[in-house]
Amino acid sequence: MAIRLYLSDDTSARAAGAAALADAWSDRPDVQIIRTSSRGAFYLEPMVERDGPDGRIAWFNVSPQDLPAILSGTGGTPVQTIPFLAQQTRYTFANFGETEPLALDEYQARGGLSGLEAAFRLTPDAIIDELRVSQLRGRGGAAFPVWNKWKVAQQAKGAQKYVVANADEGDAGTYCDRMILEGDPFRLLEGMLICARAIGAGRGYVYCRQEYPAAAARLRAAIHKADEAELLELNGEPFPIEVVEGAGSYVCGEETALLESLEGKRGVVRARPPYPAQSGLYGCPTIVSNVLTFATIPQILSRGGSWHASLGTEHSRGTMVLQLGGRVKHPGLVEVPFGLSLHQVLEQFGGGMAPGSRFKAVQVGGPLGSLFPTTGLDMPICYDAFAKAGAVLGHGGIVVYDHETDMVDLARHFMAFTADESCGKCTPCRIGSVRGREILERIQAGSGTMDDLRLLDDLGETMKLASLCALGGRAPYPVLTAIEHFPAEFRSKLRA
Amino acid sequence: MKRETTGCQIRDANDERRQTSDDRPNASDGLYMHEQVKDILDRVRSEPPNILQSLLALQEQLGHVAADMVPVIAKSLGVTTAEVAGVLSYYPDLRFSAPGRHIIRVCMGESCYANGCGRVLRHLQERLRADVHETMPGGRFTLDTMSCAGNCAVSPTVIVDRDLYGRVLPSQLDRMLEGYK
Repeated sequence: MAIRLYLSDDTSARAAGAAALADAWSDRPDVQIIRTSSRGAFYLEPMVERDGPDGRIAWFNVSPQDLPAILSGTGGTPVQTIPFLAQQTRYTFANFGETEPLALDEYQARGGLSGLEAAFRLTPDAIIDELRVSQLRGRGGAAFPVWNKWKVAQQAKGAQKYVVANADEGDAGTYCDRMILEGDPFRLLEGMLICARAIGAGRGYVYCRQEYPAAAARLRAAIHKADEAELLELNGEPFPIEVVEGAGSYVCGEETALLESLEGKRGVVRARPPYPAQSGLYGCPTIVSNVLTFATIPQILSRGGSWHASLGTEHSRGTMVLQLGGRVKHPGLVEVPFGLSLHQVLEQFGGGMAPGSRFKAVQVGGPLGSLFPTTGLDMPICYDAFAKAGAVLGHGGIVVYDHETDMVDLARHFMAFTADESCGKCTPCRIGSVRGREILERIQAGSGTMDDLRLLDDLGETMKLASLCALGGRAPYPVLTAIEHFPAEFRSKLRA
Repeated sequence: MKRETTGCQIRDANDERRQTSDDRPNASDGLYMHEQVKDILDRVRSEPPNILQSLLALQEQLGHVAADMVPVIAKSLGVTTAEVAGVLSYYPDLRFSAPGRHIIRVCMGESCYANGCGRVLRHLQERLRADVHETMPGGRFTLDTMSCAGNCAVSPTVIVDRDLYGRVLPSQLDRMLEGYK
């Protein structure tokens, strides 16, 4: 009988070599390959697992010629003893590495759809109240209380109401939404259905970035399966969910730019208010939430809001999904309750620095996130501590830079990014980012002065205060924190 | 690395076009283009019209959306040429001119940055003798960058057409490119 081997079908796992393994072993009669989601321990990918007496046994960084060892059962490690995974508290990502992404029966067998069933037993008001009790805040970056937004949309009048999942995961260093779309798509759909029931929506959209073709395809397949299983229905009416792909614009991850883009227009930010919950897609009340937020909701309904509120810290309840990247030894996905320090996360999960690298700085919250030097690593990972430090958790991306990083070039890289991606609607961002990039290029070329550093500071303050959305408003943070923590590097490049 | 942000420009006509390698009429030939554009747009027609999805559908079929198609598209969708040109010039993935036979995108996201995407990009620029947004002589590759591929844990990342490569070392690039003729 063929031996069942579990191999991830996640984009990053494939890039790490899972695709090559699947190809190499595809015609082996003694092997049956099951393509699962990824556990997110990407430093171990490609990882191959098989069933053992007490759960799965894994082989790490496998190459095709390792097959005999795997088939004979030698050299494997029980998955539950891998510290990177064993020390996590996985709820939203509990299925990852275990199930086949499109197996609806497996999803259900592991508790899937029980949140939706709970929601059907509750009134819309009671669903929103459960979310209030849970204290869930949006996971896309803005961290707005989810129940509050739903309440506004529920009470708003409109010929139609929409639920829009923001799958435009553009923050560099983040990939948890991609993993959900590819690895556990029914969880997103379940969260969207619960939202639709609560606010009375008749249609759903998932705005997926063009950079995620595998995610869009997987989600479309999941929608098809859910439709066949007659899940996409509310109150006897169909609740169609459609995947719409973007075209490479970062700012389309901002909720109002996303709606413009969904309508087929230039992805330019709208002035708020009105907020999308009042007037969103085609002027109708619309909930726009991040994929991770929707994926968190089913268990809040099935386990109860107070369960969710029992995890985390005072103003940051539940778990946070962190995504480690850059020069850490163990890049990968980490789900833990809020409250661990950056240092703990980088050591306990990140495993310290990659071989040959020495720590220089860590950036949290994507390309608009602040930089922290060694002295900033005591920072607890929760919304309040970050807000107090003038930083953001954003979407949970954590990128570590090593001793080889040129902070002046990195700062220029950030400003160039904003200049490229600015939608152009508001002046501080449109012009400020270009001027900021020019100043940094000047410093890099050795012709900058102390005045240029003062100018950057002033420019940064203006952008923070006067930009319409977080792109312009947050863009100065990585640049100014680079100057704050590594002033000598900038000064050494100034003209004498 | 400056992204092309000025309006609809038509690049060098020497670029090899995907659709013109045989005896089919050139995509920009008046009447033929008109019919072809209308056909494609009919397949994605919606109410109200969705300009972005229409342009993406055209690009999918034609490889690019040339500036001289704009009036036809506008008329077919019932919107202004300014609206169409506005959307066309806004999105980085919409192209005014035909790309090379293969498109190479180097991810410039922060994790890739920390892991040396600059070296990867420089290597490609030298090898292909093309700068970012340019097509190499002969039209085999167009070089481009992207801001994040979501492959941060297996970085740096290079995408060739639809194939995504992770943990890319500059020394592996030449062999990787051999697979794309």
